[in-house]
Amino acid sequence: MTAAPLLDVRNLKKSYSIGRSGLFSKRSLKVLHDVSFSVAPGEVLGLVGESGSGKSTIGRAILRLIDSQSDVMRFDGQDLNSISPVRMRSLRKQMQIIFQDPYASLDPRKTIRAVLSEALDAHGLHKGAARVPRLIELVTLVGLDPSFLDRRPHEFSGGQRQRIGIARALAVEPSFIVCDEAVSALDVSIQAQVLNLLADLRAKTGVSLLFISHDLSVVRYISDRVMVLYLGRVMEVGPADQVHFSPKHPYTAALVSAEPSLHRENRRIRLTGEIPSPLALPSGCIFRSRCPYAQPACAETVPPLQTVGDQHQSACLRTDIL
Amino acid sequence: MMSVRNFHKRMILPSLFLAALIIIPFAAPLITADDPVKIAVRYRLAAPDLEHWLGRDEFGRDRLARVLYGGQVSLTVAFVATTIACIIGTFFGLVGAYFRGPSEFVTSRLSDIVLCFPPILLALLVVTLFGPGSVTLVAVLSVLYFPTFARITFSEALRVTSLDFVEASRALGTPSYRIVLGTVLPNIAGPLSVQYSLTAAAAITIESGLSFLGLGVVPPAPSWGQMIRGARQFMNQDPLGIMIPCAALVLTIFAINFFCDRLRDTLDPKGASGSSMDEVSKPKAQADAPTIKDPDVVAVINKLRLETAHFGTPAVIEDVSLILRANQCTALVGESGSGKSLSSLALMGLLPGAIRQVGGTLQLRRKSDEVVDLGFLDARTLEDIRGNDIAMIFQEPMTSLNPIHKISDQMIEAITAHRPMSRSDARAHAIALLKRVGMNDAERRIDSYPDQMSGGMRQRVMIGMALSCEPRLLIADEPTTALDVTIQAEIIELLQTLRQDQGNGLSLLFISHNLGVVADIADRVAVMYSGLIVEEGPAAQILRDPHHPYTRALIESMPSSHEELNSARGDRLPAISGTPPLPSARPSGCTFRDRCPIALPACADIRPALYPSADGERAVRCLRAPEAPAGVMNHQTEAA
Repeated sequence: MTAAPLLDVRNLKKSYSIGRSGLFSKRSLKVLHDVSFSVAPGEVLGLVGESGSGKSTIGRAILRLIDSQSDVMRFDGQDLNSISPVRMRSLRKQMQIIFQDPYASLDPRKTIRAVLSEALDAHGLHKGAARVPRLIELVTLVGLDPSFLDRRPHEFSGGQRQRIGIARALAVEPSFIVCDEAVSALDVSIQAQVLNLLADLRAKTGVSLLFISHDLSVVRYISDRVMVLYLGRVMEVGPADQVHFSPKHPYTAALVSAEPSLHRENRRIRLTGEIPSPLALPSGCIFRSRCPYAQPACAETVPPLQTVGDQHQSACLRTDIL
Repeated sequence: MMSVRNFHKRMILPSLFLAALIIIPFAAPLITADDPVKIAVRYRLAAPDLEHWLGRDEFGRDRLARVLYGGQVSLTVAFVATTIACIIGTFFGLVGAYFRGPSEFVTSRLSDIVLCFPPILLALLVVTLFGPGSVTLVAVLSVLYFPTFARITFSEALRVTSLDFVEASRALGTPSYRIVLGTVLPNIAGPLSVQYSLTAAAAITIESGLSFLGLGVVPPAPSWGQMIRGARQFMNQDPLGIMIPCAALVLTIFAINFFCDRLRDTLDPKGASGSSMDEVSKPKAQADAPTIKDPDVVAVINKLRLETAHFGTPAVIEDVSLILRANQCTALVGESGSGKSLSSLALMGLLPGAIRQVGGTLQLRRKSDEVVDLGFLDARTLEDIRGNDIAMIFQEPMTSLNPIHKISDQMIEAITAHRPMSRSDARAHAIALLKRVGMNDAERRIDSYPDQMSGGMRQRVMIGMALSCEPRLLIADEPTTALDVTIQAEIIELLQTLRQDQGNGLSLLFISHNLGVVADIADRVAVMYSGLIVEEGPAAQILRDPHHPYTRALIESMPSSHEELNSARGDRLPAISGTPPLPSARPSGCTFRDRCPIALPACADIRPALYPSADGERAVRCLRAPEAPAGVMNHQTEAA
């Protein structure tokens, strides 16, 4: 990618301290290990991984909703690591988030008008007479009826709530949205509607998305590039179709093969053992304890991300197998 | 669901009641001309007469005047003190919960210090130091009560702050004070209002108590506590004297509680739940269905119809019929609200109280080969059947396992509930079950707690528990939805093997919204839409070649059905427009017609039946399906 990235993250780390193991040693739980990536303007980067992979943590760390450490975290040319709280608040206009649970993400006491107005008020947008037309524009944009503005969340279905959540994120015209499992809680037919809505918005407004999901088919459909995480480390990153249809990392291959499908004969790659505890991670390659192709060498070094194709990188020593 | 107007209607009575209790004391000069402190010893303890409705007290003062003017003092002290305590406590709680860190430490420790003192002692101490009087009382009571407000606000605010919508506000860049006041505070108003009522009531009694002890309001100024104090000495001759202030106290406290309870219900945007007593619903169905003859059939649901208990409401389940065979997996597929989970709960005899079975039969072949109709059994027999003949596993194994008990205890309890067995035998059986569901090192891990296990392992435990009495029917309600794909694949594989292993052949009813999973596990599929089965038949046939437009649309709207589409290239998924109708708003004729791409005018007139195919293997509820009898449409259109 030649254009300057909208978001550039280098060596993002996050750990939680979880009390003491001995008298002096503090134990900490590392949930992200040196995750680096970038998102170009208008690009959709998919983030997949199982629970505990740290994918939601990444989204919240970028939005500064939680603390994290990184060597570089730049958004739209501004260094998020050294930004003042005041600058950060105005930068929030450009970065938004859509949550997984449409029931928890809307204040049950606020009307839709109040939910969307809060977003506009926070940045002093569309004041006075311009307010109502903007609100109508927003609800119409996400396919809802303007008469819904004075209703409260409990009067809506899950799909409609999710649209309201999307409208709230779009209200401030962001250039970047973190979609944290944004369609996972929706029924299949509604999920397709919301995915289409996101695809349309992207075409219309050129917004960039960090699309976090555990559903590989959804991520493949919506994303330009996909990044696969396992226990807080990047296993593979590359163009969506390539990662999905010709994965280069054994973990990606196992994930894709485990996904239930109507259309493929399932040749599931069996993973042995359970996901290791983040407190006792294997040495070397983090995946080797479950990898069907692991060799003694895998225990010695942490495999770096190596280029395996056009824009395609994989963190596996055994480039010979896939 | 109640309308906004109804909420307000519910508030009218308590508001009037409370307003009356507050206004009447302050309207005292209008009600009585008597002076509450004017002494007329000649008339001491005079009985009520026309001029002095409530009689006179031990100094000959008019009791009506005293109870009214005393109310002014008691109520003012109580409400002012409670309000001050509420404001300070709420502020402390909110600051501590939202900003955490040092502010949490300061605010919570401060409250803790106050909480260390026994309240009445603290009050006595302050009054002794500063002398009695209304102002001292207000100060004492506020200090006394703010920690409870701080505590409640803190814990409630902590809960609300962790919710997504607060995070969303932060992400929007809304300033902190606006998040705290505009979002967090309204969401904790319910518990706070309850606490307010409790505290106000307690403050009134403490005020009376202190005045009774001579430490509150200074005589001769009237207050309820003063009145009780004075009347106590003459209780035997003149019981009325003590009853009047006590009645005033009781009424006031009742009015405050009544008001705050209603207020809490009203503040809840979803409305008061009303009486949500779970009563076991009794079906009105007749046993006219054929009894199970085929020994292979474990259970038969025939024309099940469920309605909500309200009169005149539409059916939540209109027509569900299923045959569940041994050694077969039947999948019930549908979106949320389609009625798939309710159908399975009916089989367990676990319908919620608000839902009742009004038609159809639910027959089960028990392990003893006896055929029973589940709708006609008493609660005891149903309990015996649950777990023993039918077992169920749920979506979230963490919520179905009790977090404070070891796995071993929970499993032993489940086993001994249905089998007379010693604990050690039950434990051995439990270990064997865990091994069967693929748990390594079962002897050791059986003694762990649910939170020490991964989601996949917990689901294995649930399956092991469900199988403990070798049921004939296992109902699995979205058992893999909360699990990661690799774990999901393992659980599906486990269910497959178990089904084949089980001695007399286990029948599996698998409820899911995920067609991919269903394709992996099911022998037969029944697709539900809006309370009806719309298509039923062998899984492979239905999923490869769906005949109902809804089934087809479901498959089509899955991104995995379109490996060639990518939104980056501007592709769109073929989605179904609209949303499924509520039971009260189902369209006439076919319930799917207003979302159906191939609907005809006739679809609005005819509610299609399940038309069986020529070989009887599959059935579909659509006028345009190949199974629909020729002429059904023409016939009806002509008739219309």
